Amino acid sequence: MMLETSVETYWEVYSFLMHEAELLDERRERDWLDLFTDDAEYLMPVRVNRERGEGDGFSEEAFYFEETRGSLELRVRRLETEYAWAEDPPSRTRHFVTNVRVAESEEEDEVAVRTNLLLYRSRGSDPKHDLISAERKDTLRKEDGQWKLRKRVILLDHSVLTTHNLSVFL
Amino acid sequence: MIGETREKEIYEVLQEARRSLDEDGKLLAKVYNEPSIFDLEVKRIFSKTWVFLAHESEIPWSGDYVLRRIIDDSFIVTRDEDGEIHVLFNMCRHRGMQLCRSDAGNSSHFRCPYHGYTYQNTGKLNGVPFQKEAYGPEGLDKDEWAMTPAPRMSIYEGMIFASLNPDVPPLEEYIGDMGWYLDFYLKKSPAGLEVVGAPQRWIMPADWKLASENFIGDGYHTQSTHMSTIKAGIMRVKSPAYLKEGVQITAGKHGCLFMGFKPGSYFNYPQGIVDSMLENLNEDQVELLKEESIMPLNATVFPNLSFLHSAMAIEAEGELATSVPYLTIRVWQPMGPGKMEVWSWCLVEKDASEEFKRNSNRAYLSTFGASGTLEQDDAENWSGQTRVAGGEMSGQHYLNYSAGTKHVEPIPDGEWPGPGTAYPKNYVDFAQRHFWQTYFDHLLNGQNGS
Repeated sequence: MMLETSVETYWEVYSFLMHEAELLDERRERDWLDLFTDDAEYLMPVRVNRERGEGDGFSEEAFYFEETRGSLELRVRRLETEYAWAEDPPSRTRHFVTNVRVAESEEEDEVAVRTNLLLYRSRGSDPKHDLISAERKDTLRKEDGQWKLRKRVILLDHSVLTTHNLSVFL
Repeated sequence: MIGETREKEIYEVLQEARRSLDEDGKLLAKVYNEPSIFDLEVKRIFSKTWVFLAHESEIPWSGDYVLRRIIDDSFIVTRDEDGEIHVLFNMCRHRGMQLCRSDAGNSSHFRCPYHGYTYQNTGKLNGVPFQKEAYGPEGLDKDEWAMTPAPRMSIYEGMIFASLNPDVPPLEEYIGDMGWYLDFYLKKSPAGLEVVGAPQRWIMPADWKLASENFIGDGYHTQSTHMSTIKAGIMRVKSPAYLKEGVQITAGKHGCLFMGFKPGSYFNYPQGIVDSMLENLNEDQVELLKEESIMPLNATVFPNLSFLHSAMAIEAEGELATSVPYLTIRVWQPMGPGKMEVWSWCLVEKDASEEFKRNSNRAYLSTFGASGTLEQDDAENWSGQTRVAGGEMSGQHYLNYSAGTKHVEPIPDGEWPGPGTAYPKNYVDFAQRHFWQTYFDHLLNGQNGS
């Protein structure tokens, strides 16, 4: 894909994504939530192993995440309690965000962004780790001079998740 | 010889485990995670009982199919051109290649990639390439070389089950008294249920029994495991004290837990579903809903099918900050000792509004399933239990399964309208002990799934 936006916009988007990954890896979920617009959508559809001619297998109805800003708020609020056992002790995560592609959108102040994500997750003293691989399709909107995440669709490369739960964000 | 000695040892361990559970209310932790016991589970439970595979609504149209497993055996669940459902062993009759390699789709035929044997979705052998050259002028007897169906298949209220055991008793009989309780999940509307899309699937380093046991009646864990969701305003109760009342049920090999709701609220189901629920369920069931304001929350059908009714907030503010009800079912599919694949579906009444269907599904996936704010913590527990049970100490470490034995009696006959045995408390271990007793019956007596 060719660069379909200005170098300046590309650099801003790239910096935004790196910052976002850093917040997640540092478990600053509250700050991460602030990156979303009020009308944000955060989706991760279930993927089914289908024949080649049948498309990519993403469900239109079934999701692992079908979130709004308001439901993400609840998830973050839960992590902030003393009782979120799934993340205490926390997972050690590393969000590897690559293949950043940015295109202008039909909406003014918005860009369409595609990235590849490899999420490394390690817990406890388990020598094994979990990996989740996905493409992310984001819509970023500039509000008051700041880029915000308006929409994220996480397109898994898995038909069966190989991690015991999704208590981390992608 | 080593094998025989080992087997004898396992039986002795299991017999002792059963005795200590029956007599002392103690369970040997080893049974949570032990490879040699797992082999017995495969042969004496999963090869003998009914196992849930799919919901009819996953394959609504002729030609639809989904791929499902009983342990390591792959089955294609098909709907043929006449609308009939088949459960077909996914192995070509020629050289045993896996016939269907896609997890869902629509096809009238399945063609083996290896030599090209082609079968109809009824299982009938339809085509054999170069048949005369390979098998002579008469060709093959196509009836003899049809796909092998699962030894038994049966459908209960839209739920498709199969069994590897040709002598398993009829499914109706297997579910038996538990059917009265499953009605609350399955018969809220005469229109029946439909799945919301494909199931979530994920791998958990946890033993299947821990999940089955939790779902059969563990109301006690909620006040601790799920405290974060009470604090965060996801589970809309003021304090965990609210959760302590309930009724535990054992019925056949199965069981469930009733929990209360605010009188007249019916778990916040929309009026249309409340009306049809009160109309469609029988008098005794309606009495529990109307007079006692209780409904089954969680249930397990032995061995590894569980149900959950719940109602949770989806959003932090606004209309969806109140409890939105949902139904999820799941299969805890063993993948070996201490490891399972979880299959999780959300089901909604077919005649519910599109808006309710969407909200109900969102309430479900916010709280249960792989990303669910409640189930995340269940996964942490079940994985942790499995991990520590994997060592040697678990062979001499006994766990407390005695809650209720000293002070709780079953509700006397005539005072509880349903079948089976009802215990008038939530924080008791009767249903969990019942699960393990059923489990030991299978392993020790090699029960025929009856």
